[in-house]
Amino acid sequence: MTTAIQQLPPAKPSFAARLQKSLFNSPLDCVISVVCAALLFYLLYQIIDWAFIASIWRAEDVALCKAADGACWSVIDARHRIILFGLFPFEEHWRSTLACIVMVATIVASCFTWFWSATRLGLLWLCGFGVFYILMRGGMFGLTGITPERWGGLALTIFIFASVSLIGMPLSIVLALGRRSKLPVVARLTGLFIDFFRSLPLLTILFAAAVITPFVLPGWLQGDKLYRVIVGFAIFFACYQAENIRAGLQAIPPGQDEAGLTLGLNYWQRVTRIQLPQAFRNSLPSIVNQFVITFKETSIVTIVGFFEILASGHAAYGTGEWTPHYVEVYVFIGLIYFAFVFSLSRYGAYLENRMRVGHG
Amino acid sequence: MVENPSVTAITMQGVNKWFDDFHVLKDIDLQVAMGEKIVICGPSGSGKSTLIRCICKLEDHQRGLINVLGIELNDDIANVDEIRREVGMVFQQFNLFPHMTVLENCTLALTLVRKKNREEAEAIAMGFLEKVHIPEQAAKYPGELSGGQQQRVAIARSLCMNPEIMLFDEPTSALDPEMISEVLDVMVSLAEEGMTMICVTHEMGFARRVADRVIFMDQGEIVEQNDPLSFFENPANERTQLFLSQILQH
Repeated sequence: MTTAIQQLPPAKPSFAARLQKSLFNSPLDCVISVVCAALLFYLLYQIIDWAFIASIWRAEDVALCKAADGACWSVIDARHRIILFGLFPFEEHWRSTLACIVMVATIVASCFTWFWSATRLGLLWLCGFGVFYILMRGGMFGLTGITPERWGGLALTIFIFASVSLIGMPLSIVLALGRRSKLPVVARLTGLFIDFFRSLPLLTILFAAAVITPFVLPGWLQGDKLYRVIVGFAIFFACYQAENIRAGLQAIPPGQDEAGLTLGLNYWQRVTRIQLPQAFRNSLPSIVNQFVITFKETSIVTIVGFFEILASGHAAYGTGEWTPHYVEVYVFIGLIYFAFVFSLSRYGAYLENRMRVGHG
Repeated sequence: MVENPSVTAITMQGVNKWFDDFHVLKDIDLQVAMGEKIVICGPSGSGKSTLIRCICKLEDHQRGLINVLGIELNDDIANVDEIRREVGMVFQQFNLFPHMTVLENCTLALTLVRKKNREEAEAIAMGFLEKVHIPEQAAKYPGELSGGQQQRVAIARSLCMNPEIMLFDEPTSALDPEMISEVLDVMVSLAEEGMTMICVTHEMGFARRVADRVIFMDQGEIVEQNDPLSFFENPANERTQLFLSQILQH
């Protein structure tokens, strides 16, 4: 019997025992732990009190806000349409809402592995973008036309993020492969292109796209200001993402490509079946990171005159009675950003976990 | 497919190769007949790996002629592709694709290069996995297998392409000692079926058993070649004698 007992692993210490060991091991530990806990509870109480207990919720109660200690959520109740839709015509807000839902659904759907083939992913994004564009732009199917200058709020933020990703991702793959090309001319030129755009601030690129290109490009190539800005943003995104992908490509042992060669696979077969899948696995954390950064950087387009969600939030508290309540507006917008970015990061973590299986 | 058995499998004439200034292959002349089994040995850096890597153009040679299965190995992509389809290669580091299952590793080239549909490809692949005695591992990923198992999968993956010639680049050098024999057994049975093989290896027991000819290379040259019996019992060149005494002393 004794031998059987000896072979069992030692029991894990209980939660209380671990707590005692890590937080209350000496008198000094006890003091520090108690003080920190008290501070934490105080902060938490303050936040809950401000946000939920002493707060005013309905737009009609705005008069109470002056006296209240807590948050004045009335500003969100009253002005959320401006925050979410910007200058989009009031009676067409349902279109913007629907467009947002379609685009988010497209992004979510493309996260499922079932869609991970060129045709399925292509078709999905073509449909997603098509529906989004028809809903937002209108001018057909009996919808009134609304030009991109009047797009705004969440729909614009999502549209910019989605189109930058959609144009930028394939471009980044081409750039990463180009920079590793065996042809010196191709490799040098792509290298120069990437380093040039990486050395410019995003703001400069957006300004150039919005203001300077109309002087340089012929009229038929200019398109709307929004599209020029998106293309500029996408190039910026692609140059960074290309370096992430290239890092992933560099990490693949040369034997992988040689094995592909001796099996008779051609260049594109080796790239699509052997190199890129492994490169994406290798640099997944930095690739997801670039998407997260890009989502947050969409707010920079304010400066070239677009009313994305942060700018429309600014407009929402800009009038008279709402001016004191900018904190509430920013908290609200912060939560929207958080919802998107947090889901992105969690999805990245899920992918990493899933792919680890493949490496055994 | 080569119909005529009298065709030589590989001909190398005056092959020279440099890595920058380093002269790695010096005037290599080599003829390999269909069905012949050749073992190449030699100290590290002697150019033996480079020699067989030149045969499937993983390395370019700078001077001389290489002819594989009657096809000239030159810069013509079509020729290179055709040769690579008929020549299988097994590497020291296995080089299995870590993101694919064992079965997918084997079916990849069948579907992409041989244009088989999925059922056909999987049937062929399972046949060869049975031949290397690991059909039960088909659904696993390479990272879940032992070194010996991975190398057998790598052999099966090459065999799926139905190659005329198999090249082995130190296939057992990266293996733990207890796994060497399972890989060598597979290679022996392959040799017994009449596969044309060139093996770079230091497994002298394997050389004695299956080789028709043993080649000793040193400093980029073929120093000596002979049938295994004469090679091991009466090496003519003193460099060969030294090398054999070094690797056979224990």
